[in-house]
Amino acid sequence: MDNFEKHIRENASAFDEHKADRAKMWAKISEELQPAQPKVIPLWKRPMAKIAATLLLLLGIGGFIGLQLLGGHETEGTQYVAKELLDIDMHYKGLVSYQVQLVQNNPNLTEADKSEFLSFMDELDAEYAQLRLEMQNNLDNELVLEAIVANYKQRIQLIENLLKQINDSKIIDDNYGYTL
Amino acid sequence: METDIRFTHSALVEKCKTGHSSSQYELYGLYVDAMYNVGMRMLGNKEDAEDIVQDSFVAAFKNLDGFSYESTFGAWLKRIVINKSINYLKKKEIPVVPIAAHEFHLKDDTEVETAAVDIKKVKEGINKLPAGYRQIINLYLIEGYDHVEIGEVLGISTSTSKSQYHRAKKKLVQIIETL
Repeated sequence: MDNFEKHIRENASAFDEHKADRAKMWAKISEELQPAQPKVIPLWKRPMAKIAATLLLLLGIGGFIGLQLLGGHETEGTQYVAKELLDIDMHYKGLVSYQVQLVQNNPNLTEADKSEFLSFMDELDAEYAQLRLEMQNNLDNELVLEAIVANYKQRIQLIENLLKQINDSKIIDDNYGYTL
Repeated sequence: METDIRFTHSALVEKCKTGHSSSQYELYGLYVDAMYNVGMRMLGNKEDAEDIVQDSFVAAFKNLDGFSYESTFGAWLKRIVINKSINYLKKKEIPVVPIAAHEFHLKDDTEVETAAVDIKKVKEGINKLPAGYRQIINLYLIEGYDHVEIGEVLGISTSTSKSQYHRAKKKLVQIIETL
């Protein structure tokens, strides 16, 4: 090794003249070093899960067919009737509670009229609760169903009568104003 | 022997082996500038040097279990940077050794005693070396590799490394003389 070489080797650090962009480079390095996401095998790809799912499906189908055979059309029919009844019930309940609210808020009625009306409604409510209990015991009992409908009809009738009474008093006032 | 130079930063290296990220950042901070300069000398441009140094750190941290203090961590890391740089140049078909038919003379590798030259001029001279001359000069004069190591890195024999180095050195001296 001659002096030329020795001199360069001894001053090798003088050749380190560049500065690295530390942050930028580290960002890329750390990104690469992120631990790889553990490989997830979907549940449905596992052989045991496949067997379990097949068994469950077979049991489900078997159970459904069994129920159909045992219960026959009766089950289906009962469900259908129950749904329809529930819809009717909801409709009337909404209608009645709306009208009761109207009565309660009406300024043209005296407190005595209101309380009389509401006590009737309470009676009908109690009757209705009894009918519902009866219906749960025997859905096919037509008499009970008819009684429920009658109960609602009675309430509506009651409300309509009351509203008519209110309107009649209004009409008299209006006529009076009109004839003037 | 814990006092051996090979065990420099061994505590930090051991922490990095467990994947401790703040230790990895600390070790990176200690070596990044040196490695970036190696990359710049080997590849000659910022973008390539950054890419190669990043890849080298990633490879080093991922394969740290294979590092068993046969050299210093710095020397081990530098070897990764140099190997990656040479592979990159080869892939881009940039010559890494100065073999050219018209320059091939048997007596080319005779040693010529040269006096010490101003480092600034050496830097300038190295930058003006044609492709294929620069790497062997860098590896021998600046990185401090011997011809066995250069042979391994460049995939040539030790004797070829010697002859190619002397040819490159002669060229460098010629360039410096014109400065």
